[in-house]
Amino acid sequence: MNDSFIVLGGGIVGLSCALELRLRGGDVTLLESGVCGGQASGAAAGMLAPYSENPESPDEFFHLCRESLGLYPEWQRRVREMSDKDFEYTECGSLYAAYHEADLLALEGRLDWQRQHGSSGKILRGAELFKAEPGLSSSVVAALWTPEESHVYAPDFVEALKTACLKAGVVIRERLGAVEPVEWEQGIEVWSAEYGIEVRLTESGSDMQSADHSGEVPSVKSGHGVFRADRLVVCTGAWAGGLSDLLGLRLPVQPIRGQICAYEWREERTPVKHMVFCSQGYLVQKTNGTLVCGASEDVAGFDTSVTERGISRLLRWNKRLLPALEQAEPFHRWAGLRPATLDGRPLIGRLERAERVIFAVGHYRNGILLSPVTAKLVADCAEGRSPQPWQQAFRPERFGMPAASLR
Amino acid sequence: MSEANRNSEKQTDTNRNMSSKADWPNETYAGTARDTWRIGNLEMTSRFFLGTGLFPNPFVQTEAIRASGAEVLTFAIRRVDLESAEDDSILQHLEPGAFQFLPNTSGSRTAEEAVRIARLARASGLSDWIKVEISADERTLLPDPIETLRATEILVKEGFTVLPYISDDPVICRKLEEAGAAAIMPGGAPIGTGLGILNPYNIGLIAEEASVPVIVDAGLGTASDAALAMELGASAILMNTPVAKAQDPVGMALAMRLAIEGGRLAHLSGRMPKKRYASASSGLQSLIVE
Repeated sequence: MNDSFIVLGGGIVGLSCALELRLRGGDVTLLESGVCGGQASGAAAGMLAPYSENPESPDEFFHLCRESLGLYPEWQRRVREMSDKDFEYTECGSLYAAYHEADLLALEGRLDWQRQHGSSGKILRGAELFKAEPGLSSSVVAALWTPEESHVYAPDFVEALKTACLKAGVVIRERLGAVEPVEWEQGIEVWSAEYGIEVRLTESGSDMQSADHSGEVPSVKSGHGVFRADRLVVCTGAWAGGLSDLLGLRLPVQPIRGQICAYEWREERTPVKHMVFCSQGYLVQKTNGTLVCGASEDVAGFDTSVTERGISRLLRWNKRLLPALEQAEPFHRWAGLRPATLDGRPLIGRLERAERVIFAVGHYRNGILLSPVTAKLVADCAEGRSPQPWQQAFRPERFGMPAASLR
Repeated sequence: MSEANRNSEKQTDTNRNMSSKADWPNETYAGTARDTWRIGNLEMTSRFFLGTGLFPNPFVQTEAIRASGAEVLTFAIRRVDLESAEDDSILQHLEPGAFQFLPNTSGSRTAEEAVRIARLARASGLSDWIKVEISADERTLLPDPIETLRATEILVKEGFTVLPYISDDPVICRKLEEAGAAAIMPGGAPIGTGLGILNPYNIGLIAEEASVPVIVDAGLGTASDAALAMELGASAILMNTPVAKAQDPVGMALAMRLAIEGGRLAHLSGRMPKKRYASASSGLQSLIVE
């Protein structure tokens, strides 16, 4: 592939697309208005849990999630080798905890179809359950165990991806402020509000520094950046809706804030061996000695502040899942913005109305999980391969035009 | 609804048809008259009960609820954090006091389990309305009529306002009414299938015979299904999946609302008789007496 690409957005999806396109021979420049991994990707708990996230039926979204989980072992190994950076990737399995006998009917129904789609799960009760997860509350009557699910420490993984991109030859420019495509029909031209900085590897190659850069920017108008390429890949997450008017396309993407907190969880604590889900949220222990509890789903626009109500809600239910939390206080609280779409599915693929433009946004709760499969689909699309019929469910133009331009 | 209430509703219908010419044209159209209905002490305008499950995110859920105009919202008790319901992952997004909650016992396989979680829901202060939902197996989720009747009898005695979800069988529906159900909720098709009303004859018969409101619950797929249920004489519709799993749940919520209103109005307005052969809507033929 000889094309040049501009990737808009340096979250996990943008970095993964940039790396995959570069590995397939593309000439790739990634543009980030802030810093890479500075939004949802850096805030995520890194759950790789297609079975827990899709309790209802094996629909197209489940298949996308499961395909991505299947790509993860090889993808994370490659990122680890290319970057020479370490990050946690733990294949620990998950438990979905039920408090009522009435939950079992739904769990049995879920297990029935999930076992036909790669799960080797089973329902654990009584002594077997508390042996598997000794810290669980005795009010949990049963849990669905899914051994195939895993998690990654997202902030470190994103750093490693960024390093892997740089080592592979992706140009990364950060701190560009507002970034806007101005031409996408004859070629791609993108303007940025700020001049920004190019991120470079240090001499040792193991760390990064940001350096002022002037030589290679095609043209600079009073501190603005102008970037040109053959193709554009839009990976701007919760901010993608802003392109709706520009492209004359209905892009129903909304930010939904997720608030998370973390506890110190050292050796003296009973380890939490699985990712533990319940109807209210999840708990996951990380190898850095923390226990992460997530997450709220708030409608709060682009506000990333942490609220008392959002966190106190987590603290109330999590004690009823893991009683040891009665004697614990979170040491860290934070929030990120998930990109939510109208039908809950991401927008992945090339625009029919502007074939130089490829979308990869709207991954909502599953951006970390879906990053490898998204990168693969975007690169396939860039190479001119048609999506499979089931992937039509993610067509970026499926919501039609803005109301004003409807017939 | 008591017999007296139901009669008064019927009386209102009759008044619409028989009202004196002096009122015409302003007040005799069914659509312009006040068309409310009741369960227990609650008088309602909306005939759309909406389930809160399966929505892709809280923003879409909130917008869809608004578009639906629903006054009654339903959810599974087992999914709710009963110890602090106001914190619950779904209920926290609803404006406090703005809705009548109809918690359901989904997941129950026996009357005992349904009664147990109904009591938990009432004790948590959520609601004393309860949708009895007892499934016979996890593949079809079809309601178990024997257990549903038993649970209804117990919960009515305990003072709940009981709305049982049941098959479209007119006989079991009659028995549930005799047991004191405040409304009867026959399914159009199995839950979540979107197959529509599989047996319109039965739904029509149930609506005709019942002296409490009949709410068609489960199995509807699209707006025409909702309109048909209302044309058959249902008092209201309960649905979740067709709205929550639509590509645009907000648009579909509005579509369902309009279909329910359209179907209701068609039911009140009296459809034309079906004819075997064409008859011109204008011209001499229309004046020829057969």
